Amino acid sequence: MEVKILSAKFDIKNSNKLKTAKKHGAYQTLEKLFSMEPAEVIEEVKNSGLRGRGGAGFPAGVKWSFLPKDTGKPVYLAVNSDESEPATFKDRYILVKDPHMMIEGIIICSYAIGSHDTYIYVRGEYTTQVKVLQAAIDEAYKAGYLGEKVAGHDFRLDVTVHRGAGAYVCGEETALLESIEGRKGQPRSKPPFPAVSGLYGCPTIINNVQSIASLPFIMQEGADAYKAYGTEKSPGTHLFGISGHVEKPGLYELPLGLPILEVIDKVAGGVWKGRKLKAVIPGGSSTPVLLPEEAATTTLDYESMAEHKTMFGSGGIVVLDETVNIVELVQNLINFYHHESCGQCTPCREGLGWMKKITQKILKGEGSMADIDLLRELCDNIEMKTVCVLSAACTMPVRSYLDKFRHEFEAYVTANEPLVAEATEE
Amino acid sequence: MADKIKLFVNGEEVEVEAGKNLIDAVGAVGIEIPHLCYHPALGADGNCRMCLVGIEDGRPPLVPACKTRAQEGMKVLLDAKHIKKIQRDVMELELINHPIDCPVCDQAGECKLQDYYMSYDQAESRMTVAPVKKNKKMDFGGGVVHDQERCIICGRCVRFLRQITKTGELGIINRTDVARVNIFPGRPINNRYGINVVDLCPVGAMTSSDFRFKQRVWFLKKALSVCHGCSKGCNLTIDHNKEKNKDDIIYRFRPRLNEQVNGYFICDEGRLSYKLENEDRLTTPKIGTVERDLTDVLASCKNEIEMSTNVTILLSPNASLEQMVAVKALAGKLNASISGFSDGYIITGDGDDYLIQDDKAANRKGLELLGIDTSQQGFEQAIAEADLLINFGNNLGLSYGADALKTLLTDTKTIACATHDSEYLAGAKLTIAVRSYSEYDGCVVNCDNILQKFNKAVTKNNELPTICEIAAEFGGPLTSPAEIFAELQQAAPALKPYQPATIPAEGLNLNDSEAANVTA
Repeated sequence: MEVKILSAKFDIKNSNKLKTAKKHGAYQTLEKLFSMEPAEVIEEVKNSGLRGRGGAGFPAGVKWSFLPKDTGKPVYLAVNSDESEPATFKDRYILVKDPHMMIEGIIICSYAIGSHDTYIYVRGEYTTQVKVLQAAIDEAYKAGYLGEKVAGHDFRLDVTVHRGAGAYVCGEETALLESIEGRKGQPRSKPPFPAVSGLYGCPTIINNVQSIASLPFIMQEGADAYKAYGTEKSPGTHLFGISGHVEKPGLYELPLGLPILEVIDKVAGGVWKGRKLKAVIPGGSSTPVLLPEEAATTTLDYESMAEHKTMFGSGGIVVLDETVNIVELVQNLINFYHHESCGQCTPCREGLGWMKKITQKILKGEGSMADIDLLRELCDNIEMKTVCVLSAACTMPVRSYLDKFRHEFEAYVTANEPLVAEATEE
Repeated sequence: MADKIKLFVNGEEVEVEAGKNLIDAVGAVGIEIPHLCYHPALGADGNCRMCLVGIEDGRPPLVPACKTRAQEGMKVLLDAKHIKKIQRDVMELELINHPIDCPVCDQAGECKLQDYYMSYDQAESRMTVAPVKKNKKMDFGGGVVHDQERCIICGRCVRFLRQITKTGELGIINRTDVARVNIFPGRPINNRYGINVVDLCPVGAMTSSDFRFKQRVWFLKKALSVCHGCSKGCNLTIDHNKEKNKDDIIYRFRPRLNEQVNGYFICDEGRLSYKLENEDRLTTPKIGTVERDLTDVLASCKNEIEMSTNVTILLSPNASLEQMVAVKALAGKLNASISGFSDGYIITGDGDDYLIQDDKAANRKGLELLGIDTSQQGFEQAIAEADLLINFGNNLGLSYGADALKTLLTDTKTIACATHDSEYLAGAKLTIAVRSYSEYDGCVVNCDNILQKFNKAVTKNNELPTICEIAAEFGGPLTSPAEIFAELQQAAPALKPYQPATIPAEGLNLNDSEAANVTA
């Protein structure tokens, strides 16, 4: 099931070094790139159907075409490497294992959108990744792939690495821009969208690491070769981080559209210790949970996820076995989003803290049915009333747990004990 | 006039001014969109989420009204069930960590949260868990006391200090529900406009150390006035109260919106200058240093005027136009020279490029308008020949040192009308205590030539005479307010279409009317 496009060089020793990367094909698309018109590049990416890999899945080529023409202002590219969604660990591999693939992708994107300055926003906790990435950028400058004349062509491109300070919310496009500009990382109201007024008030494209890293393949092999993978509406491959209660957790590159349970069984070795599957988080902690019977008909693509009232998200699949205490899981989840709320909008700032305390109260056995109802109601009251979707990233999954596992919450209220299987260690 | 556009609110067509956001546009025609973080002087921030409204045109179902420009044909939904629910839900979330102790909060009675609770919520609290604990009674410096628990993180104060004063003393530190407004360590609020954050704060988080807990605001009587602290003439609301068996006291000055003068704000010195109206006031007339009845003092004054051969009259640059007109008429009657010399009121370099002016007098332009000489030379020439100086409120002690003043007035007796005791008054032969500007109606002309009306706020138990009344007592020909105003209309033709009560609240720009006269 596994394919090797993005991860082609992941198993090669020293793949982060320019010499090794070049030996395995890095920067080979540049001649072709500069022989094309930027509009042709955009068209090719549009044709490939590449969708933004940050979670929302918005078609990358279409996003680029939103840039207003001839504003007289510089166009910026910001690469989102703030990968902070719990259960997501794909971009970090690219940064460490194949940074030159990303730099090549940056060159392709910059040429297509007419940008000469790229900011790579790297999650603050990614200390090793930043070192490796910066070394790769330095090598690329030295070799002439970045700087005044990219690969000898009349095209300037400068790349700056900007480290975050450890805020999940800075993965939100406009909070990321605020952070680069040196302000507190708080999302901006939209409109205006970054494509019109982004970094320093200039047109800005923000793409995820994996989206950018997918570009060299599309340039090299063409849109049709990319579309050969995946489904019609969700083409291509994706790096899936499978974690939780499976025998072989890890990062796997798969074409989109595979049945999720088959992937768990055949790729990740199935639920560990022979236990029963309780639920699957399909794409990072903010995606609504799937029950086994729902997962049975779910495939790993944007459309199937939407049909099952969840989201494709960031490809971070978490497998939960029968011993998982859902109420504790929800507590953990709310704690995270509460901690990461930027504190700007009233509903998110005040509401998530309230939800956290209500869940604590239920876990302590001090809750009532009214508290469960209130928790459920707060999900509706908070969601989509805010500048960004951080609050929704909490309320959407919490609502799914409350709806699908309400009996576990009620058990804390009525019997004051969890309704889960005892963990048995072999 | 600004362009008008038509849009629909709850299905009803309304005509509003173009180019404004929804809150201001429909607010101007009396339709309230609740909001906490938005302030017209600070722009839209969009954090409180109280102003979410529906727009029925296919855009996202909810938009913040503060960030949405009113557009022709727009269909705004305000009274729909789901919008009302959002307002209730946001109010509930605003209140869960906000202390519900309005009876002991200084903001009660002028609190937007309290008002909105009554208008948009009125629900029982469902908060059964412990609220977030934060710091209380924090001294932020500059006369500002902060309560972090009452704060709703709307950021108005932070934005004011960043955008208006550009001093940036405040920031919102931390995230999530422990986010709080604070100063930076060791760097208190330190600018001349800092107390405006107290007015800007929609809740009781920012209080003035000068005013807090002195009065419940619903007991305060309000009067519209104009600051006399400098020549800018910032618009004020005077909050005063006469408690049982006590005198009428001013408790605070608050800025009052006037787009063409001061906008929404005033400086701290002006704000705190209310104290001068309460304290160190001259209350009894004197002959020499002996306190006497007003009748006795007036009789002595008239006697002195009769006996004198050459009178010089000096006016204060703080006197109202009405007082200037009355005194000028008196000067004519007495054949006296008249001067408005008051260089000592000007503190060169003290002003800034915002509101504060070098000239600490409220009506120097008024002297100019009435053609009253303000030169030092003119005044000194007049004094050299005069045996009597009638001084209407001009503190000569600001313009001369004690010795210089003594020399100047060696051969001149002084009748002084004054509001406040001062060293200079010690040399006066006769002293009459008169009302200060919070105690009479009048007009002043500010540094930008804008004529503004202010109203009487305070009536003291022992009500003093006004300068106009004294001028009439001394034989001035203008004895009634109507006569004075008619005379004033001659000097300021822009006033002709008006009566004292109908002068526009935003003032009359005399430059405009002069220009209008020229073209006509």
